[in-house]
Amino acid sequence: MTSTTYPPAAAPESDLRRRGLRLGDIFFKGIAIAAAAAATALLVLIAYKVLRLAWPAIQEFGLSFVWTNAWDPVKEQFGALIFIYGTVVTSLIALAIATPLSIAIALFLTEIAPRKVAAPIATMVELLAAIPSVVLGLWGILVFGPWVRDHLEPWLKDVLGFLPVFSGAPSQAGILPAALVLTIMIIPITSAICRELFIRVPKDLTDGALALGSTRWESIRGVMLAYAAPGIVAAVLLGLGRAFGEAIAVNQTIGNHNAIPTSWFEPGDSLGSKIASEYVGATSLQQASSILYLAAILMVISLVTNVVAQLVVVRFERARRGV
Amino acid sequence: MSVTPTTVDPYDITVRSNGLRRRRLSEKVFGILAFLSALLACGILAVVLSTLIYKGFSQLSLDFFTKARPLYGEKGGIADALVGTALIVGMAMVMAIPVAVLVAIYMAEYAGPRVSRGLRIVLDVLNGVPAIVVGVFVFGLLVVGHGQSAVYGAFALAILMLPMVSRATQEILEVVPQSLRHASLALGVTKWRTTWNIILPAAIGGILTGVVIAVARVAGETAPLLFTSSIAANEISLDVHGALPTLPVSIYVNSESPDPSEQAAGWAAALVLIAFVLVMNILAKTFAGRKRRQLEGS
Amino acid sequence: MKRLLAIVIGLLVVLALAVLGGRTQAASAKPQAGSVVGTGATFPFPLISKWIPAVDNALGIKVTYSATGSGAGIAQITARTVDFGASDAPLSPDQLDACKGCVVIPWALAGMSVPYNIPGLNGRLRLNGTVLANIFLGSITNWNAAAIKALNPKLSLPDLKITPVYRSDGSGSTYAFTDYLSAVSPQWKSKVGRNTSVNFPAGTGARGSSGVAGVVKSTEGALTYVDAAYSITNKFPFALIQNRAGGFATPGIRGVTAALSQLPKKVTNLSQLKIVDPPKSAGRRAYPISTFTYVIVPTSSGDKAQTLRQFIYWAVTSGQKFGPLLFFVPLPKAVNAFIYREIKKIQSGT
Repeated sequence: MTSTTYPPAAAPESDLRRRGLRLGDIFFKGIAIAAAAAATALLVLIAYKVLRLAWPAIQEFGLSFVWTNAWDPVKEQFGALIFIYGTVVTSLIALAIATPLSIAIALFLTEIAPRKVAAPIATMVELLAAIPSVVLGLWGILVFGPWVRDHLEPWLKDVLGFLPVFSGAPSQAGILPAALVLTIMIIPITSAICRELFIRVPKDLTDGALALGSTRWESIRGVMLAYAAPGIVAAVLLGLGRAFGEAIAVNQTIGNHNAIPTSWFEPGDSLGSKIASEYVGATSLQQASSILYLAAILMVISLVTNVVAQLVVVRFERARRGV
Repeated sequence: MSVTPTTVDPYDITVRSNGLRRRRLSEKVFGILAFLSALLACGILAVVLSTLIYKGFSQLSLDFFTKARPLYGEKGGIADALVGTALIVGMAMVMAIPVAVLVAIYMAEYAGPRVSRGLRIVLDVLNGVPAIVVGVFVFGLLVVGHGQSAVYGAFALAILMLPMVSRATQEILEVVPQSLRHASLALGVTKWRTTWNIILPAAIGGILTGVVIAVARVAGETAPLLFTSSIAANEISLDVHGALPTLPVSIYVNSESPDPSEQAAGWAAALVLIAFVLVMNILAKTFAGRKRRQLEGS
Repeated sequence: MKRLLAIVIGLLVVLALAVLGGRTQAASAKPQAGSVVGTGATFPFPLISKWIPAVDNALGIKVTYSATGSGAGIAQITARTVDFGASDAPLSPDQLDACKGCVVIPWALAGMSVPYNIPGLNGRLRLNGTVLANIFLGSITNWNAAAIKALNPKLSLPDLKITPVYRSDGSGSTYAFTDYLSAVSPQWKSKVGRNTSVNFPAGTGARGSSGVAGVVKSTEGALTYVDAAYSITNKFPFALIQNRAGGFATPGIRGVTAALSQLPKKVTNLSQLKIVDPPKSAGRRAYPISTFTYVIVPTSSGDKAQTLRQFIYWAVTSGQKFGPLLFFVPLPKAVNAFIYREIKKIQSGT
């Protein structure tokens, strides 16, 4: 209690400490800021570099590149329409098939299956996501493509052959095999997000619907899906973004043909796939920068899809908080 | 009452009216469809895996794991590609993890809400950049004029890993209870020590989960390596200065070959790669379980 | 948890050591032997695969080569990401400019076979340039077309869709093939033209000689253009192509050698090495789709210059003996002086 013990002997640092400056803290915060700055700088650098490399083509062709239906290295006429078509069509087909399947799978895992059954099946669906795209592509070229050509496409032609997209001769490489491979890639992503969504739906909402006399399915459809709808939209968009960006597996299965095919059996090409095929072998500046222009378009498409997904989530979260 | 009523009370659920029958039927149908969908997904997985095992398993021999990739028309293995993948993924981890964790720490511990949201957006956008664009970027930035290198390949993979690890770290840091931080600071521990010695260890489970998932995803990436590390000698090499062979690129090359033995080598390499990825995923689940238990305990 | 962390850190330490080890290993490379890295044409890949162990044995030179297509060979050496590029297509004036002082040296020579997949065909298919052009233009779509029947009266051609398969990557094989098609079909010349990468109007694309061979193998009715070695090793039947003298020729040693008849006694520049569509005087044996394949090296190759000179000199002399088994014709004497002169231009320079 004597005053000789207080304050404690002044350590060199305590002066700084008293003033609120801590070297360790400053240093640590510094490197944390540096890391954050580096991550941001990296993103900016990627955008800048891709645009810079694409610049000669952007200057030469301008915006009309996006809707030009041509890719002729001999005549030096380049355009992105063929590849935008391939990317969008394969991804949309994949989406159309994967979305209901993913929702159904998510509902099965959260609502229908007993715990013991749900856990291993959930693991299996996640493992589907873990398959590297090059392995799916390998399977696509050597097994799935021939199967599609020998069984699926003839059947589609028989049943739906009056539609132009299911006409023509079956082929093992084309829009359809590529789209189906993309479907396999999207399903685990979308269903995982949907699962998270459905788990979070407040139980009292569905209980209330059941108490009012609706069947299980009606409560799910009327309440759960409605509640989770914006989340589902976001999940779908994220799956779409993944499909847009996939280059390797598509390159292995789409047939690499510079044309917009009328039939989905026929070969075509997509943005990512074309970049993978031609970039290392582009022998003129025009060709190389045109391929980079394709990369820039791909980047923009992915970015827009991502941003829209985020906006959907944010907007409806806000709306829901208001309710 | 032995007389059957001529009118049916629609709200009487003990009576099997048409409406209820239809509704119960659609419920059953929905249940079946949902079950079939799940079965389809599992079926696809089973088909792919069984094809891999059926076509690739016979190739797995001691030679396969110890010999380098063969030249045209010869027999060999994937030893050099295994070593290359291990080195490149390892370097990518060293490059990505510290930066990713620091970014997450910054977002969770230091930055204000607006900066934090901005960084979140940056990371999400970075996550959405397709792998092939990252490959083209690293090619244009580093490979041109200098040549391919395993280090450049690792850098490209690190770019892909960064947002995944960062996001996982940030999520787990948010879940770490504030009471831990407050208690530590109240005891006079500096902020950085609090973060380093107390918060991070509490979050390690979640961080490791994120790391393992990112590694599993990135180990199978082909596109960035096509541009940065695809021209490599057919021998086991530890020289990361030059390009190294990798599993995904050799699978890609073999997948287009007409030679049945090259195709078989492709299947076997795919089997090895998928085994690695699956093991990683199972590991991640174990960590995730541990993280949940840990945080629930504290 | 701590144990796991320790393991992870241990692995990272091992990795760090590997990195350092690799660095020191690279630094202390053997002084007398060199190593060179190259990429490019898939066409000569079977031959280069034989060269790699042989030149290591003979001269201690370590050659790393990756078959990515002639387009990549040209583009990568221009960007100086490799030490040498390989291409079946000679460089255009623009490309030579962009390459900033590169020499282009022929180092192998073979025929471009046209393999096909027609199950159960009772004999060898015969084609000519016009029919081939029309198939790849998409105007002939079925194997039982009249034009094909006319060339093959003894064959019973099935009612089978033709799937032309072409190279989706930048390819010297495409260059040679389209060079030939442009020479024999004015319609091809105006509509499509000749390049390492062209806008094929019909069919499916695949990467590399391997890729196109793979598609032909698995698709009934397919045909493609690929180096003779790939057809031989995959046991594809390939078509006999009609030349200007009216004979139906094969891409073997004799067929390609006969196509060299137009070569001057002493070659002085690259444009004299165009041997597709040889004239009538070349004889009935001459194979119409033959091509030289080239190595592209910068004249200023720094410390790789000597190794490159040694390697290329070995390849064009001792290396040629590996050719005939793979249907590569040994380089004719007419090009020797030209080659030696070009090799001498590879200097360390700055």
